[in-house]
Amino acid sequence: MLRLINKQGFFWFLLAIPAIGMSIGFLRDPVTAFDLIHPSGEFSVRFMIIAMMISPLRAIFGRRRWLDWLLARRRALGVAACLYGVLHLAFYLYDMGDWGMIAEESLIFSIWTGYAALAIFIAMGATSNNASQRAMRTNWKRLQQLVYPAALLIALHWVYVDGEYMGMVVHFVPLLVLETARVILMFKRRSARRGTQAATG
Amino acid sequence: MKFAQAMLAVAAATAMQFSAAPDAFATGKMKCDAGPQTGWKSRTDLEAKLKKDGWKVKKSKVDGGCYEVYGVTPEGQNVEAYFHPVTMEKLLVSQRGKVIFKK
Ligand code: HEM
Repeated sequence: MLRLINKQGFFWFLLAIPAIGMSIGFLRDPVTAFDLIHPSGEFSVRFMIIAMMISPLRAIFGRRRWLDWLLARRRALGVAACLYGVLHLAFYLYDMGDWGMIAEESLIFSIWTGYAALAIFIAMGATSNNASQRAMRTNWKRLQQLVYPAALLIALHWVYVDGEYMGMVVHFVPLLVLETARVILMFKRRSARRGTQAATG
Repeated sequence: MKFAQAMLAVAAATAMQFSAAPDAFATGKMKCDAGPQTGWKSRTDLEAKLKKDGWKVKKSKVDGGCYEVYGVTPEGQNVEAYFHPVTMEKLLVSQRGKVIFKK
């Protein structure tokens, strides 16, 4: 059982379960596209946030087995976030069903922030393979760092499209807490190093 | 390690405090003081009236004591609109969070 759970393929399957449910719902009754915009967007954000939490967790807790386990699955989480973003857009486009109106809405702040974030996700997703990683070298890392502006864009997208911030805050708090702890710890360690240098030097 | 844990606790408490604060963000949520629901017009009536006026109604519910409707205006805009449940007056219409009508 544990061996099955530890298989990468099985992890991809777990990530796909909500999408399978949503797709079945949509195929049964396409009118539900309107109701599926919300959950597909939320799953995209959730996977992005979990993927983003791994790095500060490692900075805080150091190397742990459970963190290595997650790290080995970070790419899957990131690609899933991207694909749920695409699914979210597909439901949105279907629900709109009118290219003129889609173009008109794309200029509204809450909507263009979504497109901008998705553009970053797609660039990251398309290069999430070892070949791209090797070919792009340091640029690859730079591209991955665009996830931070993407996260900010999504937070804005969410708050503005919703007209309230609770849903967004609830999702982003864990990441914010970890990033804050990481920064504070970094300063703390730096001054501790300086302290020992002063004592020995 | 102790320090990191303490920081986590403080940050979590701060975040909780923030998220429990009253909703100050108001792009367009509406409140209606329309008395007991027994005096309200029915949501079906509102939907029927809107459809007659050329709207497409996707969904409607009660929100903040008003009727909230997700739908498409006669002009084709996808909106979230608020109506008074007694007078059925249109109070607020927002398109993807952008307010396009306010009484
Ligand atoms: C590609 C361009 C995008 C468009 C046109 C778009 C459009 C929308 C729309 C219309 C809603 C409102 C849904 C509703 O009221 O039920 C929404 C909600 C949401 N979107 Fe997007 N979106 C885009 C990209 C993204 C991306 C990339 C993410 C996440 C990574 C995302 C995350 C969300 C979330 C979490 C919500 C939930 C807000 C809520 O209804 O509570 N969106 N989006």
